[in-house]
Amino acid sequence: MTFPFRRLGSPLAHHGLTIAMAVILIALVAAPLVTILIQTLQPASGAGAWTDVLTGRLSRNLFWRPTANTMIIGLGVAAGCVLLGGFLAWLVVMTDIPGRPAIAFMATLPFMIPSFATSLAWGSVFRNGRVGGGGGLLEGLGFSVPDWLSWGMVPTIVVLIAHYYALAFTVIAAALATVNGDLVEAAQMTGASRRRILLGIVLPVVAPAIIAGGSLAFAGAVSNFAAPALLGLPVRMQTLSTRLFGMIEIGQTERGYVLAILLIAISAVFLGIGNRILNSRRSFATISGKGARPRRFSLSGARLPLAILAWAICILTTILPILLLLAASLAPSSLSLFSNWSLHYWIGQSDPAFARGQPGIFHNPQLISALTTTVMLGAIVAVAANLIGILIAVALTRQKVPMLSNLVSQMSFLPMLLPGIAFAAAYIALYGAPIGPLPALYGTKLLLALALTAAMLPFAVQTGRATVAQISGDIDEAARMTGAGFFRRLGAITLPLAIRGLAAGLLISFVNVIGDLAITILLYTPTSPMLAVLSYSYASDGFHQFANAVTLVILVISMLATGAATLLQGRRRQNFA
Amino acid sequence: MISLNQVIKSFAGTNAVDNVSFSVPEGAFLVLLGPSGCGKSTMLRMLAGLDQPTGGQIRFGDTLVADGQTGFALPPAGRNAGLVFQSYALWPHMTVAGNIEWPLKVAKLPPEERRTRIATAMEMLGISQFANRYPGEISGGQQQRVALARMIAPRPKIMLFDEPLSNLDATLRVEMRLELLKVHAASGATSVYVTHDQVEAMTMATHVAVMNRGRIEQFDAPERLLSDPSSAFVAGFVGTPPANLIPIADGKWFGTIPDPSLPNVIGHAMVRPEAIELVDRPGQRTLNLTLAEIVPMAGRRLVTGIANGIRITAISDDANRILPELHFRLPAAPAAIFVKEGKRIS
Repeated sequence: MTFPFRRLGSPLAHHGLTIAMAVILIALVAAPLVTILIQTLQPASGAGAWTDVLTGRLSRNLFWRPTANTMIIGLGVAAGCVLLGGFLAWLVVMTDIPGRPAIAFMATLPFMIPSFATSLAWGSVFRNGRVGGGGGLLEGLGFSVPDWLSWGMVPTIVVLIAHYYALAFTVIAAALATVNGDLVEAAQMTGASRRRILLGIVLPVVAPAIIAGGSLAFAGAVSNFAAPALLGLPVRMQTLSTRLFGMIEIGQTERGYVLAILLIAISAVFLGIGNRILNSRRSFATISGKGARPRRFSLSGARLPLAILAWAICILTTILPILLLLAASLAPSSLSLFSNWSLHYWIGQSDPAFARGQPGIFHNPQLISALTTTVMLGAIVAVAANLIGILIAVALTRQKVPMLSNLVSQMSFLPMLLPGIAFAAAYIALYGAPIGPLPALYGTKLLLALALTAAMLPFAVQTGRATVAQISGDIDEAARMTGAGFFRRLGAITLPLAIRGLAAGLLISFVNVIGDLAITILLYTPTSPMLAVLSYSYASDGFHQFANAVTLVILVISMLATGAATLLQGRRRQNFA
Repeated sequence: MISLNQVIKSFAGTNAVDNVSFSVPEGAFLVLLGPSGCGKSTMLRMLAGLDQPTGGQIRFGDTLVADGQTGFALPPAGRNAGLVFQSYALWPHMTVAGNIEWPLKVAKLPPEERRTRIATAMEMLGISQFANRYPGEISGGQQQRVALARMIAPRPKIMLFDEPLSNLDATLRVEMRLELLKVHAASGATSVYVTHDQVEAMTMATHVAVMNRGRIEQFDAPERLLSDPSSAFVAGFVGTPPANLIPIADGKWFGTIPDPSLPNVIGHAMVRPEAIELVDRPGQRTLNLTLAEIVPMAGRRLVTGIANGIRITAISDDANRILPELHFRLPAAPAAIFVKEGKRIS
C-alpha cells in the first residue's frame, strides 16, 4: 500500500460498484428530474409556463382548481385510510374478533388491485347516464343516481380509500403490535382506566405510524391518475395529474412540466412531514420480552357486528369489485349486470349490430400485442430493476464510500416520492429529444422500460438489501471456511437463501408494472399499448364491457404471477428467520 | 404477607399452575425458581392481577385478592403491587421522569408530592441525570433502573419482578442484584421475583419456591435447598456445582457396584462434589471415569468425569495434581436417596 500507484488504483477497485451504480442512478433518476426543472426555467419557453400556470389568465383552470381538488382528494383519502386501516388494525391486533389472520390477509389485498379496476367497478354500479354510455346497476334497478355519487369528487375519494387503506392498515397494525402486551399491562398495573390507557399510552405510541400511514395514503392519492381520470374527467373535474396528462397530450409540454414539478413538490412535502415524524426520536423501538403475550380486548356483544363490518369492508374492497367487473364484462346492458350474459366482449367477432362493431377483446389484434408487450415488459423490468436493486444493495453494504454511498441510497429511494405521471413527464423532457448522437426515445418501448425500471427501484433495493443482509457475513464466511469456491457457494448457499427474497421482489415489480397506468399513459407506444392503457382507452371511449374484460385479464395475470411466486417460495418451507 | 391456597391456572385443559399453596411473611424476598415453562411467570401474573386463577385463593395480608372458585379478582391497581417486566415496558413516548410520573398521576397524587417521589426514586437508582431523556436514548442497564424507579415510586406493598435481569450482561446483572436488594430493603415491601437462574435465587431470596411443571417441588430457605433437597429435581437444579445424582438399582451403584449402604430401590443417590475423593488407583467403592473437564475455581478444581454416560463432578483441593487416570471414591453413605419418580426417601 506504500506505492503511490496502488493508492491511485485502489479507490476504483474498491468503489467501482458504487460508482457504477451512481452513474446508473444519475441516468435513470436524477437526470430526468434535473432536465425537467431546467427546461421550465429556460427563458424562451419555460419561464413563461411558470407564470401561465401560477398567475396567468388561465392559472385558475390550469393550476389552482386542480390543486384544490388534488388537496381535497389527498386529505380526504388520507383521513379515510387512517380511519379504515386503523379500525381494521385495531380489530386484528387488539381484539378477540374471530378470523383475525384472514382479515389481516384480506386487508392487505386491495393494494394488489389496480385503482382503475376499482374505478371501473364503481362505475358499473353507480354510473348514471349523464355523460352517455348508459347507466350502471343502480339505475338499472330503477334508482336515480345523483351526479355527486356517479362522478367527481366523492367516487374518486371512495375508490382511492378502498385502494390505499391497505397501506395505512399495514403500518398501523405493525405499530399496534409493538404496544400491545407489556406496555399496556404496565399501564394496567397503575390502575389507569381503559380510556386513559388508550389516550395516554396506545395512541401516542402509535401516532407516528398513523401519521406515516396517512402521509403515504396522501401521497398515493394526489399522484393517482386512474381514479380521477375515469371518474372525474367525464364531468371535467381536474386534478394535477389529469391536468398534467392533458397538457402533455395537447402538446403544451412546458406547462405540463411545470405541473409535474408542482405535483412532485406537493407529494414530497407531505411525505417529508410523515418521514420526519417517523424518524424523530419519538418513534420508538421497544425491547421485546418473552412476556409479550398479546392481550386481547374482549368485544363481547359487539364481536359479531364488528366482525361482519370488518368482513364487509374487506369483501367490498377486494372480491366484490372483481366480481362486478366480471359481470359487467359479460352483460350487454350495464343497466342489468346479471342478465343476457354474452361472451361477445371477450371472444365475439365484429358485428355492426353489436357494440358499434367492436369485436371481442380476443379478436382485437391490439389486445394480443398488448398482452405480449405487457407481460414481456413486466418481466424485463422486474428482472432489470431487481438486478440493479441487488447490485445497489451489495454496493451499499460492502462498500462504504463517503458521500457517494449516501447519494446512491438517497437516489434509489427517490422514485418512491415521485408521482408516476410526473416522473413520466420528466422522462419525456430528457429523452424525448435526441441527446447528442443518441436518438430520441419518445414513443419507444425502451423509454417506457427505463422509466418503469427506475420507478420500481425503491422496492427492488429494499428487497435486495433484505436479501443481501440475510446472506452476507457469517453465513458466507462459514461456507468459505469449508473451502468452497465462489460458484459453489453461490449455488449451494447464496441462491437458495436469496430465492425467497428475489421471488418476492420480482413479483412486486412485475405486478406493479402490469397494473401501472400513471407512467404508461404518458409513455406508451401508440402501435402497441400496454393492457392498462388499452383498458383506459376502451373506458374513455365508453366501451365499458371491453375495458372491464381487459382489466380482468390484467388481474388474472397478476394472480397467476402471485401464485407462481408463492409456489417458488413454498418449495422451501424452512423458516430462515 | 402473601398466601396462596391451592391455586390452579389452566389453559385449555392443562394446568400451567397446579394446586400451589404457600405463604410468605411481610418483608420477605420470595424467589420463584424453575426452568422455562414451569409456571413461574403465570404465578407472578396472577399475583399482579394480569391473569386470574381458575381455582384456589390468593390473599395479600388479610385481603382476598383473587378467588378461582367464585371468579372474584381484584384489579391490578387495587392490589398495591408494582411489577417490573422482563422487557422493562417503558413507555417510549415519555421521558424517564414522565415514565415515573405517569402512575403517580393516575393515582391522583398532588404535583408537589409527585415531584418529591420522582426525585427520590431517581436518586435512589442513580438516574437523576437522565430525567429528560427518552427510553430510546439510554442504555439497557439505565432502562432497567428506570423501570425499577417507576415501580417503587407509588410505594407498593408488594413488588413483583419478572426475570428483570435476563436482558443484561453478566457484569451489570451482578450490579443490579445489589441494587434490587437495596430497593427491597429500603421499601420494606414483600418481593416476589421470578427467575430461572439459581444463583439469583441463592443470593437474593429469603424464601425460594422451586417450581417444576406447574407444581412446587420445594418451598424453603435457600440454604435448605442445598442442605436438604426434597426431590431429585431440586438437588439437580440448585448449587454451584449442583449435587451429583448417581443412578442406583437393587443396592448397587449403576446397578453393578454393590454397596451395603444403599437401599434396595431403583432411583438416584445424591453425592455432593465435596464428598467425593480423587484417588490414584481403583479400590473399594471407586468409580473409573473418563475425564470431561477441569474448571479451576477459587484455588480449587472442579473435576468432571463421565461414567456410564453420567457426568459426575468432584472437588479437588490439590490444584496441581496430575491425573493419569480418573478414579472417584464415593463416600461411605450418600447424602440422600431419591426414588425413580424423584421423591426423597432418606
